[in-house]
Amino acid sequence: MTDRRLRTAIAVLSVLGAGVAAYLTVAHLTHTQVACVTGGCETVQSSRYSELVGIPVAAIGLAGYVLIGATAGFRSDVARTVGAAAALAGFVFAVYLVYVQIGVIGAVCQWCVTSDVLLALLVAATFLRLREA
Amino acid sequence: MSRRRLLFVAVAAAAVVAVALVAAMLVTTGGSSKKTGAPVGSQHVAAMLRGVPQSGTALGSGKAPVTLVEFADPQCPYCADWARLALPVIVRHYVRTGKVRIVYSGMHFVGPESEAALRTALAAAAQGRFWNVLELLYENQGTENTGWVTDSLLRSIGGAIPGLDTSKMLDDRNSAEVDRMLAAADALAQQAGVNSTPTFAVGRTGSTLRIVPVSSLGATGLEPALDAALKE
Repeated sequence: MTDRRLRTAIAVLSVLGAGVAAYLTVAHLTHTQVACVTGGCETVQSSRYSELVGIPVAAIGLAGYVLIGATAGFRSDVARTVGAAAALAGFVFAVYLVYVQIGVIGAVCQWCVTSDVLLALLVAATFLRLREA
Repeated sequence: MSRRRLLFVAVAAAAVVAVALVAAMLVTTGGSSKKTGAPVGSQHVAAMLRGVPQSGTALGSGKAPVTLVEFADPQCPYCADWARLALPVIVRHYVRTGKVRIVYSGMHFVGPESEAALRTALAAAAQGRFWNVLELLYENQGTENTGWVTDSLLRSIGGAIPGLDTSKMLDDRNSAEVDRMLAAADALAQQAGVNSTPTFAVGRTGSTLRIVPVSSLGATGLEPALDAALKE
C-alpha cells in the first residue's frame, strides 16, 4: 500500500476515533447519558476507571487520536514512528481497559469497543507505514 | 535511521507509555494501594461525592422531588456491588441534578461487624461525612464476619477523607446520637417489612414510599422506578 493511502487511512480512522472520544468526554464532563445498546456504558462511564488522575480517560483517548491523526500530515520518519508508538500504546492501554470492563466492572461499553477496533486498525496502518519507511 | 531501528524505537516508546498509563490507573484506582495502607477507592469516592450535599444519612438536595431509601447492611456483598455499580450512575444523573435524594437506612443483621461498621459511618454523619465513610467501607469490604472491621481500617478510611476528624468519629461510635440513629433505622426497616438487603423504596418526597423490586444491581435496576416517580 502506498504511503499516501496509509496516511489517508490513518487520518480517517483518527477522525472517527476522535469523534467517539470527544462524545464520551463531553458526556462525562456534562454528566449526560450516552446512547448505549450494551447497557453498560453508564456503569463504565461512572466507574472509578473512567478517570486517570482527574482526567477523563476519554479525553486522554481524544488527545491520542489527535496526535496519531496529526502524524498523518507529515512524511518524516519521526512522524511515522510517533504515530506507530502512540497507536500501539493506546491499543495496549485499551486491552487493559477491556480486562477492567469485563473482569472488574462487569459491564461493557459499546463506544469503548468501537474505539478498541479503531485503535487495532490504527496499529496495523501505522506499523505498515513504518515498514514502508 | 534504519527501518528496524524505527520499529524498535516505536515499540519501546509504546511500551513505556502503556506501562505508565496502566500503572497510573492501578495506583489511582486503589488497585495497588493495599500495599501502601491507604484504603481502596478513596479518590473515586471523593470525586463521586464532591459537592453533593449530605445531611445525616441523606445524600442530595433536601428539595429533591423524589426520595430513594436504601435499606442495606455494610457487610452485605450485594450492597457493596450496588454501591460500586449503580450508585455512581444514580449520583451523576439523579442526585447531582437535584432530582433524587438518597436516604441510607442501615441494617446490621449479617453479624457484629455490621453494627461496628454502621456505627462508625453514623458517627461520621455528625461531621457531614456519612456517605464518604460508608462508601469506603463498601470499597474495602472483607468477607463477612472475618474481623475485617478493624480500628486500623477505620482510621485508614477516616484519614483518607478530607475534613473528617477521625478520632472524634471513633469516639462517637457509641454516642447517644448514634444509638438513636441506629434505633430509628431498625424501626424503619421493621415498619417497611424489610428482610433482605439491599432493598429500595422510592416515591415522591414527603409521600409514602413503595418498595421497588430490582431486576439488577446496576443502575438500570432502579432507573425505571426513579423516572416514574419523577413523572408523578
